[in-house]
Amino acid sequence: MEEFFQQLTNGLAVGCIYALIALGYTMVYGVLKLINFAHGDLFTLGAYLGLTLLTSLGLSGRLGPLLGLLLLAVLVMGFVALTGALLERAAYRPLRQSPRLSAVVSALGASIFLQNTIMLIYGARIHVYPQDILPKVALEIGGVSIPLVRILVFVVSLLLMGALFLFIQRTRLGTAIRAAAIDQAAARLMGINVDQVILIVFLIGPGLGGVAGLLVGLYYGQVNFTMGWVYGLKAFTAAILGGIGNIPGAMVGGLILGVIEALGAAYISVAWKDAIAFLVLIVILIVRPTGILGERVADKV
Amino acid sequence: MIDAKYKMGGFIALAMLLAVSPLFLNAYWVDVLNSVGLYALLALSLNVILGDAGLYNMGHAAFFAVGAYTAAYLNTQFGVPILWALPISGISAGLFGVVLARPVIHLRGDYLLIVTVGVGEIIRIALINNVFGVTGGPNGIFGIARPELFGFRIRRPQEFFYLIWGFVAVTVFLFARLKNSRFGRALDCLREDPVAAEGSGINTGRYQLLAFMVGAAWAGMAGCLYASKMTIISPESFSFWESVLIFIIVILGGAGNIAGVILGTFLIIGLPELFRGFASARMWFFGLAMMIMMIFRTEGILPHRPRIFKNLDRLLP
Amino acid sequence: MKKAFVLGLTLVLAMAGAGLCLAAEPIKIGLMAPVTGSWASEGEDMKNIVNLLAEEVNAQGGLLGQKVAVVLEDDAGDPRTASLAAQRLATQGVKAVIGTYGSSVTEASQSIYDESSILQVANGSTAIRLTEKGLKYFFRTCPRDDEQGRVAAQTIRQMGFKKVAILHDNTSYAKGLADEGNALLKKDGVKIVFFDALTPGERDFTAILTKMKAAKPDAVFFTGYFPELGLILRQKKEMNWPVPFIGGDATNNPDLVKIAGKVAAEGYYFLSPPVPQDLPFEKTKAFLKAYTAKHGAAPGSIWAVLAGDGFLTVVEAIKATQSTDPEKLAAFLHSGQQKISGLTGEISFNAKGDRVGEVYRVYRVDADGNFVLQDK
Repeated sequence: MEEFFQQLTNGLAVGCIYALIALGYTMVYGVLKLINFAHGDLFTLGAYLGLTLLTSLGLSGRLGPLLGLLLLAVLVMGFVALTGALLERAAYRPLRQSPRLSAVVSALGASIFLQNTIMLIYGARIHVYPQDILPKVALEIGGVSIPLVRILVFVVSLLLMGALFLFIQRTRLGTAIRAAAIDQAAARLMGINVDQVILIVFLIGPGLGGVAGLLVGLYYGQVNFTMGWVYGLKAFTAAILGGIGNIPGAMVGGLILGVIEALGAAYISVAWKDAIAFLVLIVILIVRPTGILGERVADKV
Repeated sequence: MIDAKYKMGGFIALAMLLAVSPLFLNAYWVDVLNSVGLYALLALSLNVILGDAGLYNMGHAAFFAVGAYTAAYLNTQFGVPILWALPISGISAGLFGVVLARPVIHLRGDYLLIVTVGVGEIIRIALINNVFGVTGGPNGIFGIARPELFGFRIRRPQEFFYLIWGFVAVTVFLFARLKNSRFGRALDCLREDPVAAEGSGINTGRYQLLAFMVGAAWAGMAGCLYASKMTIISPESFSFWESVLIFIIVILGGAGNIAGVILGTFLIIGLPELFRGFASARMWFFGLAMMIMMIFRTEGILPHRPRIFKNLDRLLP
Repeated sequence: MKKAFVLGLTLVLAMAGAGLCLAAEPIKIGLMAPVTGSWASEGEDMKNIVNLLAEEVNAQGGLLGQKVAVVLEDDAGDPRTASLAAQRLATQGVKAVIGTYGSSVTEASQSIYDESSILQVANGSTAIRLTEKGLKYFFRTCPRDDEQGRVAAQTIRQMGFKKVAILHDNTSYAKGLADEGNALLKKDGVKIVFFDALTPGERDFTAILTKMKAAKPDAVFFTGYFPELGLILRQKKEMNWPVPFIGGDATNNPDLVKIAGKVAAEGYYFLSPPVPQDLPFEKTKAFLKAYTAKHGAAPGSIWAVLAGDGFLTVVEAIKATQSTDPEKLAAFLHSGQQKISGLTGEISFNAKGDRVGEVYRVYRVDADGNFVLQDK
């Protein structure tokens, strides 16, 4: 039983990261119906930027770990958000009126481009975060050990997701985003500036992805330029699992995917872990064709 | 009409130029063309599923793998000549495609996309874990015999060129016929409007399944040719990235357009080779070129054009 | 118009690319290395080392009165790209090829070089079967997996572990070594309580560690690569699980300690040919110094250094035979009498093309993160 709970927390920690990245996929998808395959590489960009700022500015040293990291997160978020908006302008906007899959291919091109930009700037070697930023303490609850960094990951992701949820549900801008997601043309007729909504979505989504990158850097301590592919695919899976275009769905999907992976590894096989996760996904989609929380929308494909 | 004749003439001239190219190209460029030919087969087969039937499939490497492993297994275990295995590879991949697609074919666009990605990954993981003890695990299967045709052993890139591109020519011929058949017209119709198609008496589910089967079977045969050319196959040749690459070729070339798909293959497989001079920046240029091409040709390089029937006015009241 | 623009752009880029790789007409030696893709860092080091050695050879007057030119082709760590790279090298008139890193990648290129009668000296491909095919022109400067498996099993037995967990990563190399170790340890009566594979490229291994811990092994034998191991050691430390880890030579990389942190890496044992800094030869020390001066850091792993040895092998063979005829070069290298002085010591090959001599050593990571050579 102890092992089961330990595996559960292992899975939830991984799932939190998936969920944070999945939010970016799902927001962009909700409004543009576009699978932004470059999202994973924006996440990588966040991880690398965080590393550069951390080592060059020495923020945590000057301002203390908490305040320093907060400022760092804001900087990374801002920069990655800007990159995301730029990407939208350069690679996706010209394709907005064309077949949906054309934009997907442009996104794949952008992904290759971003990944190799990072490689050319930072080199192909693995980069390592400084290890002394956060104290290495672990909480012991009934034989289940939870390191402090993991709690930080939990708390930060839950806070960000909660804030985003409130923003989408309670503010005017959030309402505009939801309206644009349901029907762009109608939203435009209602006086909503859809271009502005898309811009906001491309600021928030990549921004969250960037923070996820920073968290991964802090938590695991190691970043490399290809990491976006692995996390991107998993997060995209999570978004679909929860019902793509649906924000609580991305959170639920991410957490569930993380837990399936951990339990699959624990009780079936480590080597087959990803296959098990995909199998569960397929079974869920056969039973619920639009994901766990996905709404049943009229087929427009 | 004259326009169409010129177009046809242009295609024939290009095809003839291609046919004699091994005479003046060196072994490396011929081998690049072989690679292009294999991917053209894969892309043409995906085009039936993605371009003609409009089913989002980003796991095409799975069918490629099933065909390649079937051929490799039959050849190394039972000594079946590799080209004899060609139809068996096609049948096994086609059957696999049907069994797989049956329960998921009703899924909406992007949900189907992730399911096919998942299937591709499950197959790759199964291959790596030496499923049923027949795939050789991460080592794959090696020592596959070179193909023999009428007692002639095919070994050099120039010889493979004619085998592969001969098969491409047959495929283009068959698929072009298929497009203009009842089957092709039904697919056109159900891609543009499934509800109207259903209403016109087209059994959409059956046609979609058929499209999946044809595409999967052809990818399986491409797998057989690939195995015979490489003489070793291992799971990393059937990764998610391969599926993505085939997907890119179809969309960038022009989904639904056979000439466009072949042109797309030349660009996507050929460009990284042309960019070799850039060493580590080669994929950077590749990504950039991909975005630029997509932005300037938003519907693909040669987009699919709706068929215009000569005597349409006679059908209208 | 737009189409013309795209085509024009493509052509310009292509010509710029072609222009970059033109060179004069000296003795060409090919280098096939993964300069893009997942193993790009190894490929980068291979390129730097071979280029620096070529500069040195040229500074001393070259070979047979001609300059040596290194022709680099990217194999991207992928078999299909490798077979194209091999075709490309074969058509560029190279006399010999150094490389490459991964076994399955090398395998995809072997028959192409063999059919074109080009000497190939692999540097990181340790899979047993590569030299079991009777290929005349194939050699390698690295040892084989069965040798490593033997030394690993022997080391684990000597340390007195009774219950062992084995973790690999389902790459051709790691699985081979894991199978080898598994068979030998079982034969010696050691109990294997866990045998499974992680997924390379992932970051979170807590699920695997939790599962492995429940199997209660005395030690863990890890046969994968250093990026994953670094994270595993770190996460193991965070779990407060003190089990000793023993690893294979793919974990021999200074970045391991950077990823894991000194505290977590301390006490980790691994088997490897000597690390670059431990090579006791004056020649090697001087070379590494020159390398560090030029590139700012020592080469990451031994595999890149072995690519340098491949280059020296070819150079010495050409010198000794005064010829670039592949028949003569291969005959010379097969004779077993060469004793070429390489960066990793004396190099001789047996009839199969494998390097002879015992190369594996046991290393332990100390509290400062240094790799310390252990007595046998």
